[in-house]
Amino acid sequence: MAVERTAAVVIGGFPLGESDRVVTFFTRRFGKVRGVAKAARRMRSKFSGALELFTLGELVFFDGGRSELVQVDHFDIERPFGGIRADLGRLGHAAWMAESVARLTAERDPHPAMFALLSLALAAVDGGASPSRVAVVFGARFVDALGHRLRTDACVLCGRGGVIAGGRAAVDVDAGGTVCPSCAGAVGGTLSVAAATIDALRRVRTARWGDVMALPLGTAERELRAILEAHVTRLAGQGSRAARFLREVSRSLPVSEAP
Amino acid sequence: MAYYPEPVARLIDALQRLPGIGPKTAQRLTFFLLKRPFDEVRELSEALVAVKERIVQCRTCFNVTDEDPCRICADPVRDTGLLCIVEEPNDMLAMERTGEFRGRYHVLGGALSPLDGIGPDDLKVRELLARLDAGRTREVILATNPNVEGEATALYLAKLLRPLGVRITRIARGLPVGGDLEYADQVTLSKALEGRREIG
Repeated sequence: MAVERTAAVVIGGFPLGESDRVVTFFTRRFGKVRGVAKAARRMRSKFSGALELFTLGELVFFDGGRSELVQVDHFDIERPFGGIRADLGRLGHAAWMAESVARLTAERDPHPAMFALLSLALAAVDGGASPSRVAVVFGARFVDALGHRLRTDACVLCGRGGVIAGGRAAVDVDAGGTVCPSCAGAVGGTLSVAAATIDALRRVRTARWGDVMALPLGTAERELRAILEAHVTRLAGQGSRAARFLREVSRSLPVSEAP
Repeated sequence: MAYYPEPVARLIDALQRLPGIGPKTAQRLTFFLLKRPFDEVRELSEALVAVKERIVQCRTCFNVTDEDPCRICADPVRDTGLLCIVEEPNDMLAMERTGEFRGRYHVLGGALSPLDGIGPDDLKVRELLARLDAGRTREVILATNPNVEGEATALYLAKLLRPLGVRITRIARGLPVGGDLEYADQVTLSKALEGRREIG
């Protein structure tokens, strides 16, 4: 039985049996790993609050090699990211990021760059950056890292340039990028966005993290969010639960209190 | 399961639909029941049916009960000005075991969970607002679990109820009685420090 040690972020979990818990980690060395944490739900568990969602820590686990589930030995908290849990907007956006990683990455498929991106994004939300902005930047870079970058330099259907018409562009996430006006008319169901949004998408992919957080995006941020949500939904094959949660919470709270 | 007699296979199949019970445990339980006296097994089956036939949800607090309103809601000695919000009926029972709380309860039927897609519409939030509208409540105690879901629910309810002008409190979080400080994680310890109280 191999004992492994790696940095990891808790990205999900569910109760198992009387007092155990199955926890999903996104780890630096092994990618997504699911493990059983024995007695984790007991009040005096050795894990205590360490296995809470979004916690970054040092994971030690046993891998018997006979099951997909490893045995969690301990998880030492490095950063609890408590600030995320203190605000519904931060929680919802961070949950969208964790859900995207949990759904779109394979188990035991190491991706250190993606781990760094998730850790950086959670730290930014925890530190008080706009959760919506962080989610957009994370989403754009995450789909790129997965190898599903949306093409924006030409029409993905006919290959011709000139995808901007009248200051607007059409995005077809099923086809994988922008489509020209004539193809958009033919396929239907495209997302119509401002030309500035396409430009913003290019910039959030490549600009330095600090710079992109300060970029004035205006309404492009909302449109980018819509594109990325549709893209992630298409890749996952189902709508995001965290996005639904955010919509429901925003709708039901007084405007002054909505995330 | 073709090698089992049909009633045995049916019971194994039924048992393994229960939470935390896999095929092996279902099989073990089935053979355990086969060995027990007939009366004991009949008692179990009658208890199962009675639970479904006689237990309802209290229309006031959404606790499980065999009479509606439940005994707590119907108790005239209980303080109607104190309302304790819990996630599940089991949490209410845990609070009752303390013998410290003499107010009433409201069972939400779960907690907000962004990863499971559980939003306010899936909980008894509208019903809570209707109860508070009656105007007798002085204080709402948010006794949801001290985890991400419970904290999110408490945060949401605090925001939602603030305009109603009632006092909103949250149960304390921190170290368990009999625990060792040395083994507490930093989140639990910081919550314990946050919630410190003057002594003496």
